[in-house]
Amino acid sequence: MLQCTINGKELEVKPGTTIIEAMKLIAHEDIAHYCWHPGLPVAGVCRLCVVEIEGNPRLQIACNTQITDGMKITNQSEKVKEAVKWGLDFHLINHPLDCPICDQAGECELQNQYMKFGKYDSEMAEPKVKKHKVVDLGPRVVLDSERCILCSRCVRFTDEVTKTHELGIFNRGDRSEIGTFNGRPLDNKYSLNTVDICPVGALTSKDFRFRQRVWFLKEHQTICTGCSTGCNVKVSYNKEGLFRVKPVYNEQVNGYWMCDEGRDVYKYVNKPARLLDAWMTTAGRGEWLHPLTAAKKVGEFLRAPENKGKSVALVLTGQHTLEEYEALISFFKNEVGTDRIFHWVNNPESMNDFDGLLIRGDKNPNTKGLLETLERHGIKTEWKELIDGLSTGAIRTVVVAGPENQAVYPDFKAKVLELSKAQKLVWLTACKNEELERLQGDVTLIPLKTYIEKDGTFVNYAGLRQTVKKGLTVVANAMSLVEVAEAFKGVDVRPEEAPFKVGVGRVNNEATLQRGSL
Amino acid sequence: MAEVKYLTEHYDKPEYRTLEGYKKYGGYEQLARALKMERQKIIDEVKASGLRGRGGAGFPTGVKWGFLPNNGEPRYLLCNADESEPGTFKDRLMMERAPHQLIEGMIISAYAIGAHKAYIYIRGEYTGPAAILEQAIREAREAGYIGKNILGSGFDLDLDLFIGAGAYICGEETGLISSLEGTKGQPKLKPPFPAVQGYLRKPTIVNNVETLASVVNIIRDGAEGYRKYGTEKSAGTKLFSVSGDVQKPGTYEVPLGYKLMDLINNECGGLKPGRKLKAVIPGGSSAPVLTAAECENATLDYECMQQLGSMLGSGAVIVMDDSRCMVDILSTITHFYHHESCGQCTPCREGTGWMEKIVHGIVHGEGKPGDIDLLLKIANNIKGRTICALADAAAFPVISFVTKFRDEFEYFIKEKRSKVKGTKIYAPMHH
Amino acid sequence: MFKLSEEGLNYVKSEMARYEQKQSAIIRALYRAQDENGGWVSPEVIQHLSEVMDIPASHIEEVATFYTMFNKQPVGKYHIQVCCTLSCAMAGGRELTDLMMKEAGCSKLGETSPDGLFTFSKVECLGSCGTAPMLQINREPYIENLDEQKAIQLIRDLRAKAGK
Repeated sequence: MLQCTINGKELEVKPGTTIIEAMKLIAHEDIAHYCWHPGLPVAGVCRLCVVEIEGNPRLQIACNTQITDGMKITNQSEKVKEAVKWGLDFHLINHPLDCPICDQAGECELQNQYMKFGKYDSEMAEPKVKKHKVVDLGPRVVLDSERCILCSRCVRFTDEVTKTHELGIFNRGDRSEIGTFNGRPLDNKYSLNTVDICPVGALTSKDFRFRQRVWFLKEHQTICTGCSTGCNVKVSYNKEGLFRVKPVYNEQVNGYWMCDEGRDVYKYVNKPARLLDAWMTTAGRGEWLHPLTAAKKVGEFLRAPENKGKSVALVLTGQHTLEEYEALISFFKNEVGTDRIFHWVNNPESMNDFDGLLIRGDKNPNTKGLLETLERHGIKTEWKELIDGLSTGAIRTVVVAGPENQAVYPDFKAKVLELSKAQKLVWLTACKNEELERLQGDVTLIPLKTYIEKDGTFVNYAGLRQTVKKGLTVVANAMSLVEVAEAFKGVDVRPEEAPFKVGVGRVNNEATLQRGSL
Repeated sequence: MAEVKYLTEHYDKPEYRTLEGYKKYGGYEQLARALKMERQKIIDEVKASGLRGRGGAGFPTGVKWGFLPNNGEPRYLLCNADESEPGTFKDRLMMERAPHQLIEGMIISAYAIGAHKAYIYIRGEYTGPAAILEQAIREAREAGYIGKNILGSGFDLDLDLFIGAGAYICGEETGLISSLEGTKGQPKLKPPFPAVQGYLRKPTIVNNVETLASVVNIIRDGAEGYRKYGTEKSAGTKLFSVSGDVQKPGTYEVPLGYKLMDLINNECGGLKPGRKLKAVIPGGSSAPVLTAAECENATLDYECMQQLGSMLGSGAVIVMDDSRCMVDILSTITHFYHHESCGQCTPCREGTGWMEKIVHGIVHGEGKPGDIDLLLKIANNIKGRTICALADAAAFPVISFVTKFRDEFEYFIKEKRSKVKGTKIYAPMHH
Repeated sequence: MFKLSEEGLNYVKSEMARYEQKQSAIIRALYRAQDENGGWVSPEVIQHLSEVMDIPASHIEEVATFYTMFNKQPVGKYHIQVCCTLSCAMAGGRELTDLMMKEAGCSKLGETSPDGLFTFSKVECLGSCGTAPMLQINREPYIENLDEQKAIQLIRDLRAKAGK
């Protein structure tokens, strides 16, 4: 270990640690910077992270200077402050002052760092350099070159992380602009990370542009349910619902990144996509019911001596929490007396795919958790047994805990058709679906909570257990499967009353590291 | 003392550019001698000779060679023939008149530092010199001076030519390396320094054309013989490219320590009739300008130039007489650095453009009272704040011009015309 | 669509093998392609080189736009590059440019004369300060020690040479 002093604080660091790493991650000192990002190679071009090192007359950049034993470092001297002030001014002289219409406002590092370290009295009276604006960079990203400060983070991302090389910095000097060759789209499965790491409003997300001011949004940390990787993420939301998803650093799971597909997962959580109350059809007549009422009715039916037993089947997907599987499986085994519990595999042929970075073919957050639970309960079934049972009449009642994210279930329609052969079909679902609404006969639909609205555990592809906490409630009457299981038993579980509740949630596992804003 | 023909002894002979002609005057004899010497002996000799880099920085060549780590990695020798510092045109002369002198110097140097691959990086516009070099490399290869087991010594060297494509920054050694690696010629972060991790992240030495050519004479005459010319700290001779307001501009070889005014008045034939000296940029456009008074006793060596707050640089002497408007001249210099900033470091990218706009504004009668101080502030805040020295190169002329000729700038800002009566200020026709 | 001639393709392939890594051949490949494409590097040129060299097009575009000797727009038969830095500016390079442009019928820098012969650029120091003012046509050897008369004559000679 090496000893050093940073702004008067004595520190011990590992050999190879750079000054900026020590300052930000260990000493938690403020240091201005744009181009440095812990997930990317060092560029050393913004020249903002200057520090003074005792014995060295020239200011050094913290990102490219490794600490040596006994080094005394400060970034609070007048010399450093003056250099940072001017450094910021150089970033701003050609930057448009369009903060009122810029999506980055409120989380813009140019704003933040200028507030902290800036010169405040710009002396630039000369005309600014004109560059391209509103460049349609790809399916998800828009570029404003005048806002760009050429930190090169996005270029390094496509060069070093995705290795797709779409972006480059063309021309030179203050005519330099980032862009793609000949209008070719920035179209890779991770393109929105460039928006995350853009310290200014040069790269914005088409999905998020102009939709919300960031200061009207709250954040909730959770797990992406888009696939079995289980990327750590945070969602931004307000009382209108969720607006975007961004990655949260977890060295063990996703590093600094997440995929673009995972960014869309939030969309089914919002109210327009959701089933808001229970729908029950009996004798050709349907009615809307309070979900609790519907669940209790179903429970009574399942527990009735004439209905219980092996004529009842339960279908589960890898989209729910460990706790939910346990509650529902226990109820069906112990109270209904059936071990006909089936695993609906949505995409068997691509289940084990992996793109080498983050995206996995298993589009469920908890397949591993479901399999573990089934095994623990000694349940071994084949889908064929269910189909056979339905055609022979051996299986008459089917309860389905359907997927939250129907978009990743290409066989959804086919499965609805198959299962509608049951005399009584109970479908537990977070979202609305035309196929389900069209079903005739004895059908019950009960609204479920999504991953944002409940506590629970997911087991990712590697067996890592990650917990999610309730962040907010979008559909007041929706139930978790734990609540459904209780209601099936006849317990009066009261779902949420308030339509909008703000909770503070945080993902907990050993590898979660809070690193603040990068 | 006057002009000498030490490196340039045979430059007046057209056949000197061919292998045959070069050999007629003793060419490649020093290579044969060197290959029989201990490598360290050559390095020691170069160190003892006091040879300093002739490209601009003036760093002792032998010391630079000594920075190579002994880690068994392949090493590269790169010759910097980018010659892009405004005012400089001496390397072009050397390559045109004596390509084999450079090649011989490179083979000896490569042998000394243990490099088996060497490149000459020549600027793209020098198509004439490039053709001459390609021809000379071919001749040297055919004659066995380049290739395997050179002159039976067991030493192998491949030497090739790489052509640039128009970028001042490729004269900066890490910019040159980036360019050679096939990317934009943007300088690299230091550390690591090229001697440790240069071309392809392998130990690399980059030396100027004149520096490498000088090695031949050092081998021939020994360190002591080489030191016959020059001063204690500025040994040897140097080629000076003189341009601007002199009667006979051109390249002149003089011993270091030679008087600047002698170079102007004797070799270059003095100023144009009736003109008085106003200023001299002694070492390429990035070197701080000297006033006529400062020139009076100035000698052309590293120490004197440093004392005067300027630099010997590449030895590009640009002479300005009293007909010149310093504001107009600075506007061409600020334009140059703005145009050539590679764009990666923010202070340089933004600062060079800003300075050009201000000076341009003054020349076009749009100067503002605070402009001079603002120029100084900008220059002082880009200087020393970037990966390479381009920001410094852009800042030095600005600082020296507006400080030493402040009256001309103040006058221009106030009166919206030059203080220099009868001077021609360029008014662009097409902008 | 632009395609290198067979000879050009062989040249690029041999250049790729010439250096330690094939990227180092980009500059030579761009020169060659520029010559074969009538003097400029079009997006099709970059696309083609990207395929031939198996190097991302964005990377070749970066190189092509960084260096000034690659023309990103069509140029005339004679791309006249007049040095206007320091010593050449002092020697009248800028005024000479205007004069030649007028003679050639070019109204703007970078624009080609109506007869398709001339495009003018003001360029930075070409390393010929002792023979200022000077210029370079395409990638030909320098034309030095110019004056007004020589400059005008140069344009006329070139026009005559082109038979226009």
